[in-house]
Amino acid sequence: MEGRSVQLDDVWQAVLGEIEVSLSRGSFITWFKNTCLLKQSEETTVVGVPNVFIKHQLETKFGDLIIDTLRKQGASVNQIEYKTTPLASRSRVLGEENEGEQPQLTTNVIHQSEASLRQSSNGLNERYTMDNFVVGDGNELAFAACQAVLQQPGIKYNPLYLYGGVGIGKTHLIQAVGNALQVRNPDAKILYIATEQFVREFVMALKKRSMAAFVNYYRSADALIVDDVQFLADKDKIQEEFFHTFNTLHQADKQIIMSSDKPPGDIAKLEDRLKSRFAGGMSIDMHAPDFETRCAIIHTKAESHQAELEPEVVEYLATTIQSNIRELEGALNQLLAWCEVRSLKPSVAIASSLLQVHKARPKHISAKQIIERTARHFQIPLEDMLGPKRDKDIVVPRQVAMYILHEELHLSYPKIAHELGRKDHTTAIHSVRKIAQLSQIDVSLKNTMDNIKEQLYA
Amino acid sequence: MKLQVTQENLNRALSSVARIASSRGTLPILANVLIKTSKNRLSLSATNLEVAITHFIGAKVGDGGAITVPARLMQDFIGSLPEGVINLELEGTKLHITTDQYQSVVNGIIADDFPVMPTMNNGSSWKMSSGVLKKALQQVVFTASSDETRPALTGVLIRTSEGELVMAATDSYRLAEKRLGKENQNIELLIPATSLNDLLRIIGDSDEEVKVTHNEQQVLFQVGDIELVTRLLEGSYPDYQKLIPKDFTTTVRLKRADLISITKISGLFARESAGSITIDVDTEKKKLSIRSVASQLGENTATAQASKVTGGGSITLNSRFLLDALSAMTGDEIVFGFNGKLEPTLLQDPNDLDYRHVVMPLKS
Repeated sequence: MEGRSVQLDDVWQAVLGEIEVSLSRGSFITWFKNTCLLKQSEETTVVGVPNVFIKHQLETKFGDLIIDTLRKQGASVNQIEYKTTPLASRSRVLGEENEGEQPQLTTNVIHQSEASLRQSSNGLNERYTMDNFVVGDGNELAFAACQAVLQQPGIKYNPLYLYGGVGIGKTHLIQAVGNALQVRNPDAKILYIATEQFVREFVMALKKRSMAAFVNYYRSADALIVDDVQFLADKDKIQEEFFHTFNTLHQADKQIIMSSDKPPGDIAKLEDRLKSRFAGGMSIDMHAPDFETRCAIIHTKAESHQAELEPEVVEYLATTIQSNIRELEGALNQLLAWCEVRSLKPSVAIASSLLQVHKARPKHISAKQIIERTARHFQIPLEDMLGPKRDKDIVVPRQVAMYILHEELHLSYPKIAHELGRKDHTTAIHSVRKIAQLSQIDVSLKNTMDNIKEQLYA
Repeated sequence: MKLQVTQENLNRALSSVARIASSRGTLPILANVLIKTSKNRLSLSATNLEVAITHFIGAKVGDGGAITVPARLMQDFIGSLPEGVINLELEGTKLHITTDQYQSVVNGIIADDFPVMPTMNNGSSWKMSSGVLKKALQQVVFTASSDETRPALTGVLIRTSEGELVMAATDSYRLAEKRLGKENQNIELLIPATSLNDLLRIIGDSDEEVKVTHNEQQVLFQVGDIELVTRLLEGSYPDYQKLIPKDFTTTVRLKRADLISITKISGLFARESAGSITIDVDTEKKKLSIRSVASQLGENTATAQASKVTGGGSITLNSRFLLDALSAMTGDEIVFGFNGKLEPTLLQDPNDLDYRHVVMPLKS
C-alpha cells in the first residue's frame, strides 16, 4: 500500500510539475495546492482535492489539461473523478483518517499554555560549554566578560551584549554561560530564547489571551539569555513588552545576556530607550577568528568526534574556510563522515575534493567587478570612480576599492593604480594603508567592506 | 453586453457580494465580481473559494454577456453615484458605465477566467424563517474556534437529533447549543463559521424564508434574490452533548442585566489577568458577587441580588466569555449553575430552554 502511494505521489508530482509551467503562478497555487492522486488504474483515476470549489474548477476548466498531462506521464486514463478529501495529501501519507476528534472541554487557556511553557526546558543546549569554546584574538574580550558574568551574575556587565557576524560563536558563548550558570545553581531559572521564538510566543499569548502567563514566565527568570535581538526591529508592541521584561529583570539584578549581528545603536527601527538600555552594560564586538584560532577550533571539534587529523589537513581547512565557524564545523563533519564511512584517513586530497564548493576565494573575480561593485555599493557612478574628481564622497570609495583589490586579488600597487585610472602607484600605497588603519577603528567601514566582499562572492 | 439597471439595485447587489471578493489571495481575479446577464436579469457573483455569493437583480437587458471587474472599485463607485438609471456597455474587456452625469470605463478581466460558480443540481432541502435562523446564528456562531489546527471546531454543526434541528458550536473553552424545533429529515452539516457570518450579513433584516439545500460537499442558502453556497467541513464533530452538565451543586437565578453590569465592571480590573474573575455565591444573603484583582491597578468586588440560590461556593471564569454568553441571550432572567471549581458551568434563560451556553472555568 505504501509503495503504491509513493508511486502515485511521483506520478502526481510529475503532472504538477508540467501543469505548473503552463499556468500562471496564482492559478497554479490556487487550484492545485494540496491536491493529490488517490487512485490510478485502467478504469478510473481519482484526484483528491481540498474543497468543493476546487473540485468544480478542476472538473470544468482543467479536466482536459489534467487528463492530457497524466497520459503524457504514461498513465492510461479513461474516467477521471475528483474527490474532496480533507488536507488531501497529508492524511493519506500518514495512512490514517482525521477521525474522532476527542472533546477537550476540560482545560483552559492560561493553564494550557503555561504548562506547555514550563514543560519546555530552559532552551539551552548542553553541547555548548565554556570549556569547549576556543578563545582567540577575535573573541578574547567577549570570553573574559562572560567569565566575569559567571563570577558575579547580575552585578558586573549587566546587560552583556555580544555582537558580530554570522557563525563566529555568539550563540555558543551565550549558551555556554547559561549552562555554566545552571550548573552552579541548579534551582535557578535560566532562560535561553531566540528572539524569533519570543516573538512567536508573544503572538500566541495575545491570541490565546494568556498574556499574564507569558509575562510572568519571563519576568520570573533568574537569568535571561536572548539570541539575535536584531529581530526585534520593527515590532513595536513586542519591543514594549521586551522593554518591561528587561526593566523588571534589570531592577532585580538578574543577569541579561543578548546577542545580535550589529551594535545596539545600529539596529534600525529599534526604540531609542531599548537601544540605550542594551548599550547600558557592556557591548562587545566579536570578530571572525584568525588562522591560529581556526586551527584550534578544528582540533577541539575533531577531538569531540574522537578523530585525529594531520596538521596539514587542519591547516588546509583553516585556510579554505576563513570567516565562518559554522561552515568550518560543517566542512569538518563532512570530511570526517566521508572518511569514516570508507575507513580512510582524512587527507588534504580528500578534503580538497570534498570542499570544492567551499573554496572561499574563487579566482574568477576581476578587478573590474570589484570596482563596479564598490561603486554600486556607495551609489556613485563608475565614471566618477575612475575619473579625476577628488570629492570626499568619491575618494573614500575609490580607496576602499583599492584596498579590496589589494586584499582580495593581491595586485601590485602600480596595477591597482592603473585599474582605477591613477597615474601614481604611491596613491595606491597610501590608500591601502589608510583604509587598513581605518578599518581597525571604524566598525561601520569594516562592515561595509565585508558587505561588498560578500556580494562579490555571492 | 449592453443593459440598463438602477443604481439602487446595482448598489444593493454589490454590497452583498463585494465583501467576500478578496485581493489578498494568490489569484487576482478573486478580487473581482462577475457581472452576467441571464434572460432579463443580471447576476453579480463573488467567491473566495470557501463561499460564493450570487445576487440577482432586475435589469433591462439589450445584449447579453459577462465580464468581471474589480469589486472594491465597483462598490465604491456605484455607491457614490446618485440614484437613477445606469447604462452598462461592454467593449472588449472594458466596461463603460454611464449615467447622465458620469462616464467611466472600468478595465475588467474576461469572465471565462472566473472560477466556476458551484451549482446544486441534487440534494435535499428544507425551509426556515429568516428571523429564527438569524437569531440562532447570532447566538451560536461566535463560539466556534478560529484555530485552524482543529478544523472541525472552526465549523458550526447543524444536525437533527431526536427529531429536532439543533445548531451547536464550540472552541473547546465554551459551547453554545440552540434547538430549532421539529425536523423530519436527517441532517448533519458542518459549516464553516466564517461562511455563516457572511450568511448573517446577507439575511440582514430580511423577513423572507430561507431555503437550505445541501449535499455531501456543499450547502446552498437562498434568501430572496441572493444565493450563498459554502463548502462543508469534513471530519467528525466531538460528541459535545455529554459535556453539557445536567445537575448542579450550585445554581443562582438573577436578573440578566444585573449580571451583565457587574461582569463588565469586574472585567475592567481583570484586563491584566486574561479576564479572570471570581464569582462567589452566598446562599444566606442570596447574593452573587464578582471579585477581580489587577495587581498593579487595584481590585474590585461587585455584588448583585439573586432571586433564588441553591448551594454556595465560588468559581473563576473569563469575564469576556461570560459577557459574550450573557449578551447572546435575550430574556430578563438567567440561571447560572456550576459544580465545584473545575467542572463546566451552564448559563440558561429560564424562559427559553432551547438555548444552552456552557463556559469552562479557569483554574484559580
